[in-house]
Amino acid sequence: MMKINVKLVGMFRIGRFNEKRLEYPSDARVFDIVEDLQLPKDVLGIILINGLHAGEQDSLKDGDALSLLPMLDGG
Amino acid sequence: MRFLTTDPAAESSNILYKRCTIDLRTVEQRMEETPCRNLEDVLGGFGRSFQDLARRQINNAYCDENPLIVNTGLLTGSSAMTGMRTYFSGYSPIKGSKAGLPAAMWSTGSGKFGAKFKWTGLDELIFENRSEQPVYVVIKETDAGPQVELKPAERLLGLSTHDKIMALQKDYPDAHFAAIGQAGENWQNNFMGAVALSTENQLKEKEDKCRFAGRGGMGSLMGYKNILALVAQSSDKLKPLSEAVKKVNLNVVKGGGSARIQPISRGGGGGTWAAYDVLQEFHAVPVNNFRPQGNAIPEKLFRENVEKEYDIKSQACYRCGITCHNNISEKNADGSKGEFLAKFDYEPLNLLGTNIGIHDAGQAARLIQLSDNYGMDAISLGATISYALSYNERHPQKTFLNGATFGDYEKIHELIIQAGEGKLPEIGQGSMRLSQSLNETCYAYHVKGLEIPAYQPETNPGYAWAIAGGHMSMGTYGLLTREGKSDLDSWVKGITEDKLHIVGFDMIGLCKFFDIAKGIGTQMVVDCLKSEFDLDVSIDNIRAAVRRSFLRGLALELRQGYTKAEFCLPAEVFENPNQNIKLPNITSPEFIEKLEKRVWEIFEPELEGLLNA
Ligand code: SF4
Repeated sequence: MMKINVKLVGMFRIGRFNEKRLEYPSDARVFDIVEDLQLPKDVLGIILINGLHAGEQDSLKDGDALSLLPMLDGG
Repeated sequence: MRFLTTDPAAESSNILYKRCTIDLRTVEQRMEETPCRNLEDVLGGFGRSFQDLARRQINNAYCDENPLIVNTGLLTGSSAMTGMRTYFSGYSPIKGSKAGLPAAMWSTGSGKFGAKFKWTGLDELIFENRSEQPVYVVIKETDAGPQVELKPAERLLGLSTHDKIMALQKDYPDAHFAAIGQAGENWQNNFMGAVALSTENQLKEKEDKCRFAGRGGMGSLMGYKNILALVAQSSDKLKPLSEAVKKVNLNVVKGGGSARIQPISRGGGGGTWAAYDVLQEFHAVPVNNFRPQGNAIPEKLFRENVEKEYDIKSQACYRCGITCHNNISEKNADGSKGEFLAKFDYEPLNLLGTNIGIHDAGQAARLIQLSDNYGMDAISLGATISYALSYNERHPQKTFLNGATFGDYEKIHELIIQAGEGKLPEIGQGSMRLSQSLNETCYAYHVKGLEIPAYQPETNPGYAWAIAGGHMSMGTYGLLTREGKSDLDSWVKGITEDKLHIVGFDMIGLCKFFDIAKGIGTQMVVDCLKSEFDLDVSIDNIRAAVRRSFLRGLALELRQGYTKAEFCLPAEVFENPNQNIKLPNITSPEFIEKLEKRVWEIFEPELEGLLNA
């Protein structure tokens, strides 16, 4: 198992949390966490691992900080 | 429009659009069916108007030869979702080259005016010269085709955008409206006048819920011509929804294209306001004249904090399932909705909120409402005010105007009123002229004379090639922040290929939220054109027409005296790099130099001959 600091941004916080340390199997990838938290995929826009842009297929390691942000579209 | 072919790319001249040209001085008018020159003409919007503007050499926006072109896009008034757009084009009073020549510009907004205009049977209205007396213009559907009439408008003088619309609604209850505010009436001292477009919600609820064609001072040009409002009077003419368009519309609403813009209650991101939360993660929300401080101050205007005290309601333009408007009202003691204040879209909220040191939602809402009522472009107004506040902060012993500084609500309020009433040309004429007059240009946040929207220039070198404002005409504002792209190849490709396609929405009559990532060169648009007009057009042909239109805009900029050195970001970005923004640095002088070289190498050969079409 590994511990991941998960930070949610914007509407993802509603009914969930702002920031939490969560435990996942050591082979978990970003999409496993997105599934686990039941985040709407079509609103998910930006994934950051330790502050760097990443993708849903990326793997994580113990102690990583994962931020999940909605899509950015202004105007 | 009249379609005598099914192939708009190869036989564009067999598609005719209905154009009315009015000479405001002589009141003569010419109604004609005009054959399209190319696919850009068929698609409409700026794709058509820029070809006409290119035929005129205009040296001063406020001259009789500068036309105001009002038109729609091919899908305006159709059953395709978001098909509500109206376009206003002309040479801009505010955007101009250092050589002193005005740039060609367009501006666009939703609301229902565009659809009503189209349903009168007219596709384009060109105003030549100027009227001696203030007038409003009625465009109406008759059995004999569209008719256009000028009417005396003295009684509308001095009214706000909303009040003009309310006054006209009494006489034309079945119509929709486009109106300027006092800012446009005071065009001599206010170059950032916007055109307000009425919405169904506004007309029903009598609350000032207009949409705006704000950019580039098209409302000031309308004011110069002495046109205070346009009235489009027609019955609603929506075709029954075909299976094909129904599928497209469903895809727009449910297929992910617009999901992040939909209301939170429907599982969406909650409109453009959501950009606050996202950008704050990178400390890239503009604060105090585009200088993010690396702190939590922007969070005060996060939705989760605002909704504790205010009522927020999602609303939409006529028939639009995207529902992108966030309308803010006071909350009564019992929790019910109180007085309507303003709509919170990301750009006005930031530029008349956090970026001028206003962190109270109620105050920001009042300033947005003021800007809307006077009919000013919230982006140009906010960025010019933030420049003035920054100047005063830098010169505490020698402040100018009323000495306002960041966060000084009362004084900022006063500046907006004075600018709206045409008593403050320093603000009303925009940040380029103001900064030049004060001889401190490096922290004036405009590009090519047009104030930038609420995305830090450090995150968007693509601003330099935007032709009508950085969020309307160059979709690179999310390339670093959203997509994490910081390499040169991605930026060259973004600017010269993918991201310029955002301008397609300013041709065809749809909002960019229809499919912001892909533009209009998509199967969805192809299907709509087939279903609505029996047109067969390929994705490649649409993309080629959009690209030509964009490049024509660049060619026009160069013809209007812009040097390549003017295609640049505000100097402060380089002179005093902001260390608080938590994103890779893509605005070092070396990066920019290489980017410029490669972008021009691609664009320049394609500009040849585009203005002679
Ligand atoms: S996307 Fe927004 S602005 Fe565009 S038509 Fe729909 S509700 Fe109106």
